[in-house]
Amino acid sequence: MISRFVPYILCSLTLGFLSCNQGKNAQEELTIAVIPKGTTHMFWQSIHAGAVKAAQELDVNILWVGPEKEDDRQQQITLVDTQILAQVDGIVLAPLDDMALRRPVRTAVTNNIPVVIIDSGLKDSEDIYTSFVATDNREGGRIAARELARLIGGHGKVILLRYQEGSASTDNREQGFLEQIQEFEGITVVSDEQYAGATKAQAQQASENLILRFKASNGMLAVDGVFCPNESSTYGMLQALRRNHLAGKLKFVGFDAAESMIEGLRQDEIHGLVVQNPFRMGYLGVKTMVQHLRGEPVEKRIDTGVTFVGKEDLSRPEIRNLIDPNLEKWLAR
Amino acid sequence: MMALPKKRAISFEKRWSWLNKFGPLLALFLVFFFFAAFNSKIASFNALEIMVLQTVIVGVAAIGMTLVIISAGIDLSAGSIIALSSVVTALLMKDFALDPLVAALGGIAAGLICGLLNGLLITRLRLVPFIVTLGTLLVVRGVAKGLARSIPINAGQTWLSGLLALLPPDRKWMLIPPGAWLMVLLAIIVAGFLRYTKLGRHIFAVGSNEDTARLCGVAVERVKVFVYAAAGTFAGLSGLMLMSYQEQGDPTGAVGLELEIIAAVVIGGGSLSGGEGSILGSLVGAMIMTVIRTGCQLNGWPTWVTQAVTGIVIIVALAVDQLRHSKID
Repeated sequence: MISRFVPYILCSLTLGFLSCNQGKNAQEELTIAVIPKGTTHMFWQSIHAGAVKAAQELDVNILWVGPEKEDDRQQQITLVDTQILAQVDGIVLAPLDDMALRRPVRTAVTNNIPVVIIDSGLKDSEDIYTSFVATDNREGGRIAARELARLIGGHGKVILLRYQEGSASTDNREQGFLEQIQEFEGITVVSDEQYAGATKAQAQQASENLILRFKASNGMLAVDGVFCPNESSTYGMLQALRRNHLAGKLKFVGFDAAESMIEGLRQDEIHGLVVQNPFRMGYLGVKTMVQHLRGEPVEKRIDTGVTFVGKEDLSRPEIRNLIDPNLEKWLAR
Repeated sequence: MMALPKKRAISFEKRWSWLNKFGPLLALFLVFFFFAAFNSKIASFNALEIMVLQTVIVGVAAIGMTLVIISAGIDLSAGSIIALSSVVTALLMKDFALDPLVAALGGIAAGLICGLLNGLLITRLRLVPFIVTLGTLLVVRGVAKGLARSIPINAGQTWLSGLLALLPPDRKWMLIPPGAWLMVLLAIIVAGFLRYTKLGRHIFAVGSNEDTARLCGVAVERVKVFVYAAAGTFAGLSGLMLMSYQEQGDPTGAVGLELEIIAAVVIGGGSLSGGEGSILGSLVGAMIMTVIRTGCQLNGWPTWVTQAVTGIVIIVALAVDQLRHSKID
């Protein structure tokens, strides 16, 4: 019998919630939903911490809601729609897909809920979203090329081990790397056609085969430098070099900063890592949204920066903060 | 005059059964010499060691998958079990400071439990293996991610790391890494078990015709539970190999690897309709895929070529299998 009333109860509850929310708007207490691609990775936890910092500084509420897996597009679309129903004041979104999330973002904006995009782009939607706050991946690749060129003294042979077909962020890093490395006349790219694949074990196998291919008869590598554009390809290459007793024998630049890769940097097996700043991404994502809601002008594209980290940089406090941010400070309750 | 065509038919049949046994091996040599013609480096001792090394993770899991496929089943959860086992082993070493041997047994046990779960769900609930293992694929992957909090677990260097690594110069006399020897040893034991024990023959009987097997008094349900438990255990051992190779427990590792494992069994003569398959064939199937990958990468051919060629080899293997069946029938 009760089940007959459930829809009515739900309806009235929703209406009540909506009116409450509108009441809150009038009191100028902003609520901003932050929707990441996933919730468990260190990268997303850093973004969360940055968002919390901005919320505390600017005195707004944030709702942190993310899909359980990093590839669940459907769930993320539902999450965006739910936030539209809940009538939050703004949405900060890291889209899992540059096409699939366009429809929900458009719906939000037509319902007067502005959207700031972070981390990954949304295709052909510059007129819809308020701002795009992300790493300039192409610049990240260029920095890697410049540093690798410096490390090998401006001439020699280098390898680019790509990550995976169809990944926009790493595609840009690879393109940036190739663009920049071509400027150095003394440097030749001897292999850029291999993709590492989705898993670390695949990356390690591809690396082993590359090493085999370029190993001279005296057991040394006929290559001076290598660049890998993400965490799994960097780790796979590191592991393959170690097990061939070649780690440190050629200059190696990687991307991102997992614990195991920092260890490689300390041991002189990796000579530099290009590191993003997710904390800053979360912070600026929320800050930009608040500025927009308070009627201040905002930039359409905000670069959160990439930093080259060498072994000697590890002792610098700002770099330590970057690779190991104090998450507990912001996320503890 | 009447005897002549009959005799011919027999020798014809014999020829096809010969192809059945040695077809995959022949294909392996063909593929190998094809790549050796482009780049002789693939025939170097170093290259052979690397190729064996890269075959072990798929190969060990393929031993268990062969049993499942002979019984006319399928196990889609193998990749997830491999990841779970690598995570459990790494966690036991890192957070519980257990001896590597105990941790390794823990990882294998995790695989056994997953396999038992598959077997019990299939026999008790009478569900299709494809659906059950599709479900456990997600469940087991979720548990692996949960246990590891979605980040890889660095367990540090122990003797386990040497299980699946290039041999150090003072141990080159071993020819291939210890993990590969373990794979060969297990393959011989399981091949013998399949051929000479009652339970081994029962697996073939269940796969050829389940109803007939039941009528003949084969405990079909018990055979099935055994087969999935064995597949889980071998996937668990394969997870230990992954952990050794990568020196990390990796909750996102081995994604989609079950398809490569199934492909190895099918290239090696296993039939998805059951009743057929051989351990040696499956290992050769796994090796063929490694040789193609290494061969393409040694020649600097792009990644899409590697994938396309592997796909073609799978289809050719199936076509030969089909042709063989129609000839015998």
